[in-house]
Amino acid sequence: MATAEERIRELGLTLPAPRIPAGSDHVPYVRTGNLVFVGGDVSRRPGGSVLTGKLGEDMTTEEGYQAARGIVLSVLATVRSAIGDLEKVVRVVRVFGMVNATPSFAEHPQVINGASDLLVEIFGERGRHSRAAVGMSSLLEGAAVSFESVFEVRD
Amino acid sequence: MPTAEERIRALGLKLPEPMVLADNIAKSRTPYIRVDNLLYVGGHASRNEQVFIVGKLGDTMTTEQGVEAARSAALAVLTSVRAALGDLEKVVRVVRVYGMINATPEYTEHPLVINGASELLVEVFGERGVHTRAAVGMASLPHGVAVEIESIFHVRD
Repeated sequence: MATAEERIRELGLTLPAPRIPAGSDHVPYVRTGNLVFVGGDVSRRPGGSVLTGKLGEDMTTEEGYQAARGIVLSVLATVRSAIGDLEKVVRVVRVFGMVNATPSFAEHPQVINGASDLLVEIFGERGRHSRAAVGMSSLLEGAAVSFESVFEVRD
Repeated sequence: MPTAEERIRALGLKLPEPMVLADNIAKSRTPYIRVDNLLYVGGHASRNEQVFIVGKLGDTMTTEQGVEAARSAALAVLTSVRAALGDLEKVVRVVRVYGMINATPEYTEHPLVINGASELLVEVFGERGVHTRAAVGMASLPHGVAVEIESIFHVRD
């Protein structure tokens, strides 16, 4: 059974540097007991600029899928900074996937599958999670997708 | 003091069958995840059995219809909670309800809509059903559903 770090390498992926909070009033994650709450992260381009778009208007569902997939790498960089080693992830508990979407857009699950699929590719059964995938009227800097999550971890 | 299951029977309620998820969804998501004594229940849509209740509040659906949609979503949540625990008596209390409404930008009666879910939880669980809550409007929801509810339950063995 490959470790999460091995799976990331096998998939040809690398984690970016952990996110630095934009202000002093909030942090990328909070650990309480055996839960790590990861704050909202957004879709980004290679290099870190925000990947913008509105589903149902100027971005396709497939492009949204890829945008959602990319966020997981940033989220896992945050989780690794919280616990040191992704093997300490017991399971992914909750994913709240937010899609910047028009009022008539209806394929939110297919977009957020980009993130959900990658979590399962990396963590296997431990990566299966409870989820909501919804449409927001706007997101910061016009981001296409945002993603909040909760992980169960161990020492 | 009647049990939750007794109240459901007394109210003449019927919990829907579990939602059948498409394979590309089911491979990565589960209806709920339990960590210790908390049950995290993912988004559950308004539906009658396997047929989604669609609509946009402030446009194609009235607040009264929205109340019924929210109630149906809460019943779907209870289907998952019962599947997780085997028995609704193992619910210690409802902790959190996040009620999401497919609504126009001008719509303002979100609390009235989500009351359909909140009141059902109190009808079934009594004091244990009283919860923290947010009731908000979303730009759009999957499949165009009218209401989606995410929730957390405090549970015991």
